[in-house]
Amino acid sequence: MTLTSSPGGATGAGAPAPGRTPVLDCAGLTKSFGTRLAVDGVGFRIFEGEVYGLLGPNGAGKTTTMKMVCGLLEPDKGTITIAGQQAIGNLDVKALIGYVPQDVALYPDLTARENLEFLARLYKLGRRTVAARVDEALELTELTDRRNDRLDSFSGGMKRRMNIAAGLLNHPKLLVLDEPTVGVDPQSRHAILERVQAFGREGLAVVYTTHYMEEAERVCDRVGIIDHGHLIAEGTRRELVAQLGEQDRISLSATGDLERLAEACRGVTGVTSAATAENSVHLVAGEGRHLLPAILEAADAAGIAVTSVDVVEPDLEAVFLNLTGTALRE
Amino acid sequence: MRTALAIARKDLRQRIRDRSAIVVGVIAPVVIAGLMSLAFNGVNNFHFTLGLVELDHGPVAAQLVRALDAPQLKRVITVQTVATKAQAASEIRSGVLAAALVIPAGFSSSVTGQHPEALTTLTSNNATIAGDVATSVASSFVAQVNADRLAFATAVAAGAPRRDTAQLIGIVARLRIPLQAVERPIGAHELKVISYYSPGMAIFFLLFTISYTARSFFVDRSQGMIERMRAAPVRPVEILAGKALSVFVYGVVSLATIGVVTTAAFGADWGAPGPAAVLGLALVFSVICLTALTIGLARTQRQAEGIGSIIVFGLALLGGDFFFISSAPSAIKHLALLTPNGWAIRGFTDLATIGGGFATIVEPVVAVLIFSAVVGAVALSLARRAVSS
Repeated sequence: MTLTSSPGGATGAGAPAPGRTPVLDCAGLTKSFGTRLAVDGVGFRIFEGEVYGLLGPNGAGKTTTMKMVCGLLEPDKGTITIAGQQAIGNLDVKALIGYVPQDVALYPDLTARENLEFLARLYKLGRRTVAARVDEALELTELTDRRNDRLDSFSGGMKRRMNIAAGLLNHPKLLVLDEPTVGVDPQSRHAILERVQAFGREGLAVVYTTHYMEEAERVCDRVGIIDHGHLIAEGTRRELVAQLGEQDRISLSATGDLERLAEACRGVTGVTSAATAENSVHLVAGEGRHLLPAILEAADAAGIAVTSVDVVEPDLEAVFLNLTGTALRE
Repeated sequence: MRTALAIARKDLRQRIRDRSAIVVGVIAPVVIAGLMSLAFNGVNNFHFTLGLVELDHGPVAAQLVRALDAPQLKRVITVQTVATKAQAASEIRSGVLAAALVIPAGFSSSVTGQHPEALTTLTSNNATIAGDVATSVASSFVAQVNADRLAFATAVAAGAPRRDTAQLIGIVARLRIPLQAVERPIGAHELKVISYYSPGMAIFFLLFTISYTARSFFVDRSQGMIERMRAAPVRPVEILAGKALSVFVYGVVSLATIGVVTTAAFGADWGAPGPAAVLGLALVFSVICLTALTIGLARTQRQAEGIGSIIVFGLALLGGDFFFISSAPSAIKHLALLTPNGWAIRGFTDLATIGGGFATIVEPVVAVLIFSAVVGAVALSLARRAVSS
């Protein structure tokens, strides 16, 4: 088992088969911080061998949901069941979960081996088991030859791989990966995504939170879209995209007031959503190609010079835009 | 317990790897205790040279010269005869003499007259204690002479015949003022400076463990390590126990090492090993409670450092780590009894002077444990919240 690229795309269990026991079953999860409602009634189920993506913009409630699943936050309301056991306040259930936090959580002044040994001991494993699991994790991360080097001498990508390996020391049934590719170089990112797909193939139930639509499309068997603390849609990529019908996603690059351009586009018959994101305006429109002249005319009338137009097949970005009226990365 | 051991082991490994811990835990206390001992060694072996300007050469002056030659004073004073008052002043200025006593011409004959001559002490601001001692010796002698004059005058006033004057003078000269201050140390041994500053500095630097550990807790938290520990089947109290265990081991090793080194290198007396160890353990326990309190009160690493520093220096100043608490103002002496380090220093110095084994440390140990219980009760609830949040 190594964390390197291998042929093959997203696989896994696909849609859950009726009658199978979910590894994770949460329902009605609600959490407030003071007067701010961070998560409101979120519920989903994940099965063995399934990679489930929780997709949403920053601040949507993904991390709060994951922390509740991992027992780091107690929900105000709702239930969490892991491998058939009620999880809230149940310390033993934590042994079934592998948690990979968003930021690298390892000691920079300890070596790779010392870090992994320490974390493995937290699961009350025997000495021999600890040694075996550490070797396994080092092999997985291809860091066996760096086992005695301090972590502060590692590259960012190596640290990220170690971060993931540390979440596997207890051989979990449920692996929770909270935005594991943030700040990672493309090569390491590719390797991590390959590895996540492999986890699914190997039978792990994986929750993968991200705000990168491409990652969710690539590695996840099913995706839950979360926004403002609500799970607003759930399904396979195909199911979610099918909600859009024959609509296309159109990206307009322009100079000038993008918000004004978006407003102008909303007035074009057939455009169902328009939002600004990253120096462009994203539209969801039925039969987009045929609407282009009207859209460009509206832009011209608004005094905005469109520099490029890109019409793409419906994707999760378009689904999110259609559901929320905003882009994933505003 | 296994989890707490794993956390403690990891903390100690990090602490040893951070060389400053060894510097703060062992090297600095030993060096500073040694330096303080060197600096204050004069307090143990106080001695100075007194210039004597004898311009009288009469019988009373001879008595004073004999008094200065008494064995009790030889321990403190070396008398050096100087010809003139001006020469004495010059030698005091140059540091050859610490003080001088001038017996003026006609001093003996004036004693029996109406206008006795005064003894003069020459002193310097550079040697105030020597000046005080010289003045005190002169005053004591003058008091004796005045008592003799009073006794003689009383006898004459009561009708003693004038022809018996010589006999009377002889009787009076043998009289001595009955009330004299005699030094009798209550301890079996004299307290050496190093025996005070060795535990004082060891405790002072042990207190630094409070801010070090609290700071490392918040570093762990900011690095996501506390969260990672809590994602495993680990109770918050196990995390606290692990931190406490590392403080305990570090504190005990630090105290024991400083004890052994200062005893072997400087001759410090920490008292009997058994009672000293019990007192040390009680003190380390109080440091654990103070660490938990700091973690509980702080919200950030900076706050932990700030609160830790206030606790360290507040306790060190009040408890007498830097100065002999016996010479402190009364208010400080009372405040020292509210601090665990104040009680511990008292316990160690009592062991070094009075001895007495375990009976000597019962009161300090109980006081330190009461302090720990009060602080610990408050700290535990606060610190659990800090770990869980």
